[in-house]
Amino acid sequence: MSVLRPLDKLPGLNTATILLVGTEDALLQQLADSMLKEDCASELKVHLAKSLPLPSSVNRPRIDLIVFVVNLHSKYSLQNTEESLRHVDASFFLGKVCFLATGAGRESHCSIHRHTVVKLAHTYQSPLLYCDLEVEGFRATMAQRLVRVLQICAGHVPGVSALNLLSLLKSSEGPSLEDL
Amino acid sequence: MKEEPVVTAATEKPGGKGGALGGRGGALGPFPGVHLVAGKATFSECVCLLSGSLSSQPAMEEQPQVQDADEPADSGGEGLAGGPPQVAGAQAARSEDRMTLLIRLRAQTKQQLLEYKSMVDASEEKTPEQIMQEKQIEAKIEDLENEIEEVKVAFEIKKLALDRMRLSTALKKNLEKISTQSSVLMDNMKHLLELNKLIMKSQQESWDLEEKLLDIRKKRLQLKQASESKLLEIQTEKNKQKIDLDSMENSERIKIIRQNLQMEIKITTVIQHVFQNLILGSKVNWAEDPALKEIVLQLEKNVDMM
Repeated sequence: MSVLRPLDKLPGLNTATILLVGTEDALLQQLADSMLKEDCASELKVHLAKSLPLPSSVNRPRIDLIVFVVNLHSKYSLQNTEESLRHVDASFFLGKVCFLATGAGRESHCSIHRHTVVKLAHTYQSPLLYCDLEVEGFRATMAQRLVRVLQICAGHVPGVSALNLLSLLKSSEGPSLEDL
Repeated sequence: MKEEPVVTAATEKPGGKGGALGGRGGALGPFPGVHLVAGKATFSECVCLLSGSLSSQPAMEEQPQVQDADEPADSGGEGLAGGPPQVAGAQAARSEDRMTLLIRLRAQTKQQLLEYKSMVDASEEKTPEQIMQEKQIEAKIEDLENEIEEVKVAFEIKKLALDRMRLSTALKKNLEKISTQSSVLMDNMKHLLELNKLIMKSQQESWDLEEKLLDIRKKRLQLKQASESKLLEIQTEKNKQKIDLDSMENSERIKIIRQNLQMEIKITTVIQHVFQNLILGSKVNWAEDPALKEIVLQLEKNVDMM
């Protein structure tokens, strides 16, 4: 399929699937490992992809959360993300998409300005998380957060839905006027 | 045959709301779906109620699990009747796990069903076909978000009111048992009252201080304004004086008077010179007579004066 839709398949019982999209394979793999180490009542499935569209030959379960990993050190990763965003259905952006910016720790290596990513997240009305995926401690914390968000998006937490979480996570001000 | 360990395990679970499962089974509310079976119902009855309330497709997937759960329950009961207590304990723990799993799965499926239903409802709503400008779309999004926030707030307030009602009924029921002299509840209430009095007092104090501050600020402002106006007056006066002075200096009359004065001075000087020369020419000893001395020596003074 060329466009990912959120609710076109029935959910697997007690399973939650997350799709990590990013150009850095090593980072994604490490993040996936940290997530799988987390204590979680439901079964986790982590899919990694370099870019969308995903090949339709594979039979994959319903994807509950997509995380676009943007590496602030390389412009190619931002480009790749923007291209992949076109293959995602609009109804996914109701809380089931998240942006993760990595590499903000080393300011001298950053070739993408932080405001670009902020603007991107604001355009798509999705939360933006910052994490230095190379540092073990930060990665473990981020994995915990992602697991919790994934559980909510998969519907495993009664009383909280993905849209609810999105409105909770929204910051009260978008990118400042000077940047827009 | 009563399966005791399972039932007691069920009642030990934390955070439960008492009430029969059947009564709440139909409502799809956002409240947590964990409901306890009160008292004497058996495990199998509980399981049947669970499978009855699941109306969506995953219910069929759960049936084999339900049957699995029945078996260890039975074997648990048999194990108790005549087996080693350790095996019974392990099997009871497993059935307890299965119970937890089932309840969790039920909550999950409820939540997922709610999500699908809301998506179906949303897609039935007609979206406007005309192309709107981005600003209008953003304004519309904001309005919709405000609606969501209002509904959330209303819900939270209602929940709060319900909780308060529950609390007050529980208190009412317990008050008959509590002696008014000594109990933790009364101590808490008294402490609450004291704290409230303290709060009110400090609020009153801070209000008074703010009033004083405000008065002082007003006075300062008034003083500033008064001094400003005074300074302005002084400045205008000075300016007027300067202007008057300048105009006076430039007026015609003064020039004429000055010219006359100059003329007179010249005439006087000439006359003085004449006198001096007369005196000197007459070869009189002018140093002895003070009047003559004065005339001779006066020349310097006059010129300096002008």
